[in-house]
Amino acid sequence: MIEMMKKDFCESEKHINEAIQKAQKLQAKLNAVVTFVDPSEQIENAKKKSEGLMSGVPIVLKDNVSTKGIRTTASSHILDNYVPVYDAHIVDLLRNHGAVNIAKASLDELAMGGTNLTAATGAVHNPWDLSRISGGSSGGSAVLVASGVVPFAIGSDTGDSVRKPASYCGVIGVKPTYGRISRYGIIPYASSLDHVGYFVRNVKDACIGLEVVAGRDDRDMTSSYKEVQHYSEVCDGSIKGKKIGIIKNVMNSITNKAVIESFNSLIEKLKSEGAEVKEITFDEDLLRAILPTYYMIANCEATANHANLDGIRFGKQMPADSTEEVMVASRTAGFGIQVRKRFITGSYGLFVENQEKLLRKAQRVRRLIVEAMHTALEDVECLIAPAASGIAPSIESEKMDELASEYLVAENHMVMGNFSGYPSMTLPMGFDEGCPLGVNITCKPFEEVTMFNIGYGIERCTGLKDLVAEVK
Amino acid sequence: MQYDVVIGIEIHCELKTKSKMFSSSPVSFGKDANSCVNEVDLAHPGVLPCVNKGAVEQAIKACTALHLEIDPVVKFDRKNYYYSDLPKGYQITQQFYPIGTNGYVEIETSKGKKKVHINRIHMEEDTAKQFHLSEGTLIDYNRAGTPLIEIVSDPDMENGEEAAAYVETLRQTLYYLGVSDVKMEEGSMRCDVNISLKPKGSTVFGVKNEIKNLNSISNVQKAIDFEIERQSKLLDEGQIIEQATRRFDEATKSTILMRLKEGTVDYKFFPEPNIVPIRLSKEWIEEIQANLPELPDERKARYEKDYQLNAYDISVLLANKELADMYELVMKTCNNAKLACNWMSGDVLAWCSKNEKTLNEMSMIPSHLAEMINMIEKGDISGKQAKEVFEDVMNGKDPVVVVEEKGLKQVSDTSLIEALIQEVLNDQPQSIEDYRNGKDRAVGFLVGQVMKKSKGQANPSMTNKMIVEELNKRIK
Repeated sequence: MIEMMKKDFCESEKHINEAIQKAQKLQAKLNAVVTFVDPSEQIENAKKKSEGLMSGVPIVLKDNVSTKGIRTTASSHILDNYVPVYDAHIVDLLRNHGAVNIAKASLDELAMGGTNLTAATGAVHNPWDLSRISGGSSGGSAVLVASGVVPFAIGSDTGDSVRKPASYCGVIGVKPTYGRISRYGIIPYASSLDHVGYFVRNVKDACIGLEVVAGRDDRDMTSSYKEVQHYSEVCDGSIKGKKIGIIKNVMNSITNKAVIESFNSLIEKLKSEGAEVKEITFDEDLLRAILPTYYMIANCEATANHANLDGIRFGKQMPADSTEEVMVASRTAGFGIQVRKRFITGSYGLFVENQEKLLRKAQRVRRLIVEAMHTALEDVECLIAPAASGIAPSIESEKMDELASEYLVAENHMVMGNFSGYPSMTLPMGFDEGCPLGVNITCKPFEEVTMFNIGYGIERCTGLKDLVAEVK
Repeated sequence: MQYDVVIGIEIHCELKTKSKMFSSSPVSFGKDANSCVNEVDLAHPGVLPCVNKGAVEQAIKACTALHLEIDPVVKFDRKNYYYSDLPKGYQITQQFYPIGTNGYVEIETSKGKKKVHINRIHMEEDTAKQFHLSEGTLIDYNRAGTPLIEIVSDPDMENGEEAAAYVETLRQTLYYLGVSDVKMEEGSMRCDVNISLKPKGSTVFGVKNEIKNLNSISNVQKAIDFEIERQSKLLDEGQIIEQATRRFDEATKSTILMRLKEGTVDYKFFPEPNIVPIRLSKEWIEEIQANLPELPDERKARYEKDYQLNAYDISVLLANKELADMYELVMKTCNNAKLACNWMSGDVLAWCSKNEKTLNEMSMIPSHLAEMINMIEKGDISGKQAKEVFEDVMNGKDPVVVVEEKGLKQVSDTSLIEALIQEVLNDQPQSIEDYRNGKDRAVGFLVGQVMKKSKGQANPSMTNKMIVEELNKRIK
């Protein structure tokens, strides 16, 4: 898709205008865009970058990506008027490859959430069924790719925030290895778990996308020096002899027949293409501990990460008599209830009398889970499991029982990819009630080539490629 | 009642680096407000810290000079608190694994030498500067993110003199290392003193008070002296000392209560997730350590050996590194170390302060000053004449040329002086008579006459000596 648009260079202005028009037309239904971006300067730039891998290709950025001169809100009231003075590293890379950013997409406030219901601009709707959620926190980006507005959108993934909405929206969501893409300029949620990720509609585009945005950045000390491979050339899509491990615990916890059937059918096809599939069982207690462990680490880091949002130097400032009162007033008015809850949880976990039994314990559990993944991946090249226990929930639906295994294990196993930093991606694997179901694969660190090869295999087996939701 | 005084000192010291601790913006002093900041210093959303290698190098130098053990794995932590001078809402510091631990420094006071132990040195970043006005608060972020080291001593000091000696020793050491400007008055070195009293011989520590922001070494001593008196008086009266933070007031030379300590603040320290632990290579550390500049102690030993100066003279020179450096340049060609020291620490410094110039700003050439001193030493010019030459030397002139131009050359030719003496004695028979009768002042009169005849160019001490010899001959 990306290559096609790029080849069609003289048509690129047309592509961009079509994308903007489509996004504007769908906005009333999807509510995926926070800010539309005037593309004229970028189009001029794209003309000079005809060799770029995304020259003239319209793209979308999640609104937690810092864009110089373009309002960046992270879907939070406190940043409602914030216009950054600098570009994120990936924005520089995308510009160098001639990509044209047409919009800043909605997210759960400060990327804290899995529903996209907490965005300051309101819920984002699933293009396959407008009564359903997009998933989050990168909901806006997922929806704009799923509805065919753009072929590529940047998201961020702290606890499956790219891969879950990808599953709900029938697109591919990629979260490469921690350190593969610079986080400089991404408004954080939790630094040790945050990854830059992206949405595409086919595996080829996933390869091209990573070639563009990956690479060492001296401004991010956690970014890797490892050379970026030419994924689209290196990957041959062969899965013959590839060793794939099914996470048995996830399958055991899922009750939805459509999920089980499409997953099993995919596995049979993978086997018929020559993949060696085995079942892997994790310690169930470890998997049930993923969610609390995640919440503890993420919220502790988040409460400190967002201490800079105080209304003093940027963002919404509430008038008051002293700097202290300005900070209190601005923060009280600026954050939604979900965010405040997480800050309180995080603060509580950091208190000196709690830290050992909360944050430090969570970090040790994280280590155990990563060790278990490491061990599992000694026998196989890839772990596979459904990305969710079903299709996207309805916006009005009751919350799931958060202590049931179906929730704790099936809905949260992808967070293991954040704990470990291992590369992980979600692809469409079937449909239920007209809405997409996703499958997730996770590989060893920096083995994106293996991940994309298996992704190609899955794409072939399911035949689900370049899906575009027709918004009704 | 008699008390033991327990003093510990925390020193924050700004490191001399080109850029900030975690960002690439320049470190500055006295620049326009908010002109040396970037998005990292202002903690704009999405920025990440990047450790300044130069700052780590400076910290390693400080640790080495102060005999601390260096942790080869550098880790940072977050110290969380909300304050408007702290852009991120947390300070990146080294709470759990400081770069250096367990060192010492040797101080010298009137009671002799003593080791003061240094508990730890850690790296961190400075805050912004705030100006509270009636209209509101102004914030200058230029200082935000400036690299700092905090040097924490053990409570090893017992009086103001020791504390002052400790701070001065650190100040000199860090300055000679080139690690910091250590200007207490500008805040590039800041000193907090913890002090408590306990009954003499007791093993139980008393309640401590912290005295903040002492802006000179003499104030460190004055504040401690005051605090010892204040606390002993309270204890003598049977009152209790409350744990508090106090500040030194220059005007009244007393410490003033800022706030009582109400429980300790929980800074919720936790490891900084954006900075992975950095393993320093052994070779790099060793290379830094091998190339340390000469430290004050080493210089002191060298001055004793090479120049045979006394302890006081050496301490005067070392207290001012630029002065000591220039002294060494002078001594390259100067034959009298003591005389050179007197001129440097006396006339040269006085000239600088009179002309409002720093040592580095003067046009004086050290070899010229050396030549002038050598001329005095040889007796070519008198001390009095030298004062005339000095002014020109300070303005960059060669003393040989100056002496020539002014016709100041002192006559030390014995035959010339001999002739003048004969002339004078022949003219003044009364003086010879006076001398015979024991009136010594006749000598002075005769010297004066010779000087007059020589138009002031005769070497006075030589003249004096020769007149006495001649008189003794004549009265036999």
